[in-house]
Amino acid sequence: MKAPLTRAARIRSGVIAVVTLLVAYEAMARTSDAFSYAFVPLEQLLGALVEISRSGELLDNIAASLKVVLQGVAFGGGAGLLIGAAMAYSKPIAAFVNPLFNAWRPIPTLGLIPLIGLWFGNGDTAKLVLVCLAAAEPMILNTYEGLRGTDQRYIEGGRALTFSRSQLFWFVQLPAAMPSIFTGVQHALGFAWIATIGAELLFTVGPGLGGVMERAQIATRMDIVIVSVAAIGVVGLAINTTVTRVSAHLLRWRDSQ
Amino acid sequence: MSAVIEPRFGAPRWRAFAIAISGPLIVVSLWWALASSGRFAEQIIVPPREIWAALVELLDSGELWLHLQGSFGRLASGFALGSAAGLAAGILMAASRHIEAACAPIFNAVRQVPAIAFIPMLILIFGIGETFKILIVAKAAFFAIALATFEGVRNISFRELEVAQLFKLGPIACVRHVIVPAALPDLLTGIRLGLGRAWGVLVAAELFAADIGIGQMMEAGRQMFRLDVVFLGVIVTGLVGYVFDHGLQRLQAVLTPWRAELQR
Repeated sequence: MKAPLTRAARIRSGVIAVVTLLVAYEAMARTSDAFSYAFVPLEQLLGALVEISRSGELLDNIAASLKVVLQGVAFGGGAGLLIGAAMAYSKPIAAFVNPLFNAWRPIPTLGLIPLIGLWFGNGDTAKLVLVCLAAAEPMILNTYEGLRGTDQRYIEGGRALTFSRSQLFWFVQLPAAMPSIFTGVQHALGFAWIATIGAELLFTVGPGLGGVMERAQIATRMDIVIVSVAAIGVVGLAINTTVTRVSAHLLRWRDSQ
Repeated sequence: MSAVIEPRFGAPRWRAFAIAISGPLIVVSLWWALASSGRFAEQIIVPPREIWAALVELLDSGELWLHLQGSFGRLASGFALGSAAGLAAGILMAASRHIEAACAPIFNAVRQVPAIAFIPMLILIFGIGETFKILIVAKAAFFAIALATFEGVRNISFRELEVAQLFKLGPIACVRHVIVPAALPDLLTGIRLGLGRAWGVLVAAELFAADIGIGQMMEAGRQMFRLDVVFLGVIVTGLVGYVFDHGLQRLQAVLTPWRAELQR
């Protein structure tokens, strides 16, 4: 088997590919006016980025979107954590919740938008409800599976130390489930981010990156739409990186994996 | 991996069954009681029989089938497009270190952006016709399949290929007996993931703009305050998602039984 490429060689290949793509893109943009509608020239894209950064529009709306994400993860994810923990703590609760949970899971979250719209209107409440639902699902699943999947040897060790059921839960099962719960938080943030963008696009146009994009679409400002798409990707990546770093730091007591 | 949660019980089976069935029963009876209490308008809580009536109405007029046909047609073309491209990209990236290194930054950058965020851009370019919906589905399918193919082909160990050489397998036999069995489990998982995502994003795209489709049915129901139609749409999209997921799980169990056993 051939040895993997060195870091320098990888970076070189990546840079060449990106530059080639940008040059091809710019060439397409300059072909004709019809093309420059879809392939907005790079200079104009940069101009749009500067425009909405200077006016504060970009950062204000990123902040507005992130606020919805964090609220959704706090409420929806928090509820999911409690439900998942209750299910792991008591088998009757798990047996009771499971059929309902399994009936809810296959429904695409964004497909709930018309229903939530009828119940909660088209404003901020509806957005928050949708984002809470998106965040709750992975938290329930990962909390439950993490707590339930505790290594049997640890539980027997705890029993040998005559731990009570709640001691077993707090001192054995919960620490053992932390990696899985962090995976839940990571998924919850990811799902909440997608749901937030979807809600901002499909409910009434308001603040948030989705709103910026929707307004730009109506005004046929392709440059701002493209800048918003890029911003959505960058913020998503930033959220993901932050969670990975934080969980790696908080779980550093684990055996290295 | 399997998402279905099946607790084991020390208690007798009938008791477990009674508890399991009580959840849905309580929800439905609560729903029924609230609906018939007359305190809420029919736009807020619709009695279960109204949803049944809507189902019968839409089945009789053939409308539901038309909507499902519309959605499935888009899903099929978008998924075929996206997964064919994903398969090709995955194999190319796994086969060559240079292609992988060159594609990685662009691939990962585009992958970061949720499919739904591309909708306004695609509407501006292609209008609100069929093209943007098919491309959105293709985007969702492409990345799931490309990653799964990449992982699957990448994970074929050198040893397995050496054994194949030792047995003097020809290239076709090698693909048939070594490469396909090794890559298939990852590929099937990718298809399952991609199909689920593609279905979700298609319904969302149909909420934006469509002349027909299950998402359009729900959006029209919302505008006419027909909660029964909206609710029916939610149930149907959930059922379709369930059938896709479980159908592919079954397929995985049949096609890659060794993997299914490992997971137990």
